[in-house]
Amino acid sequence: MNTVWIDMALAVVVILAIGLLGTSRLGSIVRLFALQSFILAFLPFLLEGGIGIHKVVIATGTLIVKVIAIPAILFWAVRHVSIRRDTPAIFGGSASLLVGGFLIGLSFFLSSRLVLSGKPFSDLLIPSAFSTLFIGFLVIISRVKAITQVVGYLIMENGIFLFALLLFETTPLLVELGIFLDIFVGVFVMGIIINHIQNEFDHMDISQLTSLKE
Amino acid sequence: MIPFISVLSRLAACLLFSPFLLGVIGKTKAFFAGRKGPPLLQPYYDILKLIQKGSVYSVTTTWIFRAAPLIFFATTLIASFLIPFGGLKAPVQFWGDALLFTYLFGLGRFFIILAAMDTGSSFEGMGASREAIFSCLSEIVLFLNFAALAVLSKSFSLSQMIGESWWASWTVSGPSLILVGASYFMILLVENSRIPIDDPATHLELTMIHEVMVLDHSGPDLAFILHGAAIKLFVQGSFFVTLLIPFQSHNRIIDATVFLAAMIGLAVIIGIVESVMARLRLNRIPSFITGAFVLALFGLIIAIMRVL
Repeated sequence: MNTVWIDMALAVVVILAIGLLGTSRLGSIVRLFALQSFILAFLPFLLEGGIGIHKVVIATGTLIVKVIAIPAILFWAVRHVSIRRDTPAIFGGSASLLVGGFLIGLSFFLSSRLVLSGKPFSDLLIPSAFSTLFIGFLVIISRVKAITQVVGYLIMENGIFLFALLLFETTPLLVELGIFLDIFVGVFVMGIIINHIQNEFDHMDISQLTSLKE
Repeated sequence: MIPFISVLSRLAACLLFSPFLLGVIGKTKAFFAGRKGPPLLQPYYDILKLIQKGSVYSVTTTWIFRAAPLIFFATTLIASFLIPFGGLKAPVQFWGDALLFTYLFGLGRFFIILAAMDTGSSFEGMGASREAIFSCLSEIVLFLNFAALAVLSKSFSLSQMIGESWWASWTVSGPSLILVGASYFMILLVENSRIPIDDPATHLELTMIHEVMVLDHSGPDLAFILHGAAIKLFVQGSFFVTLLIPFQSHNRIIDATVFLAAMIGLAVIIGIVESVMARLRLNRIPSFITGAFVLALFGLIIAIMRVL
């Protein structure tokens, strides 16, 4: 029965990633990310093997870092740089959604070719991990504003989290805590950088950083 | 004798219950806006009032303009015979009736578009062009949805696609159904010109899609279009409800009650969506439909992976 809920949660995680691809409002983007992380936080409890200390620590860690702390920092940054929307740079909303659909197809193809040592607890896990990872990539390369790129990076991290569920039993707790610390510090630093770009240039359109000035 | 009663009750549900859904949507929106709102039966009053009035025809119009409301009404009503709902089996079912289902709505829409162009009004031509482009995008998504359901149910007949045997295979088809359901709901909003695609309450010609096409219709013609649109919402909504709540107790009264309650629930959900969302800018609508497309594609891929 648990596999049904795992499948549902995985489908919802990918739906949220697609939704993120389709929105340009920064507030909704951060909210969608927080919701995705919220679902991921409860995913370990659906795995077999009861409720252990490992699962509780991972779930509370995800909740505190990815659902509360990071969105709070990002909301602070959104308010601080006082912009509401991000315009896709390279291709428009529909095109990036279509590419997202293509990437989902690709991830199903890739995962059918992937040889794993053990059987995953759901055949949707690897495809949705790949999809989330790819959509994170896509967000990073298709958006202009630094904040959206940070969220893209975090979506990628969520994809990696899904992969890590495969090795949940064997990964030491310390490694996962290290990952949490890493992304937290990463987002913190990026928040400061965004702030500095804003102070220096009065905007945070990073595509203009490549043009040289006297 | 039993099939006769079943067909009659199906017709009664379509004709009599469908305007009620519009009333529920209106009441929900009024509730969110903190107003009292029009009475639940307001759509019935509107239709009755319009039927009693006379029609005015512009001299530039031809028979197409007069035929369109009737064709729209008739095709929508015929389409309702293809799907099972509320414990009633579909009187007409054959291999591939999903195609007929889609193109019956297509035919009705085609004539409404023709009638809009027949008036020679530039406003209506604009609405017609919008309706044509958005419906042709949404049709692709609708067929992807049908394809996913066809793969899951190994049948291309609507009655089997949304039939009884879903609970048994819920573990296999659950994620696929969630995705197809989400995608279909988005298409439901597009097809029935609800917010965020089109605002049925506004009367600014520049932003309307469906409403602007029927500006020149009056009297009984407008009543047919109004009622036809309500039946369309009912039919497409009942497809959604039967897909996600395949409840069958084989007791007619319980089945009908559960179904009608679920339909009212759907109307409330549409009302909530309309209250909390703003209308999308016209050039953002294709990306809304693309979102539905990607969801349907994802659902289809999962269906193919799990079933084939």
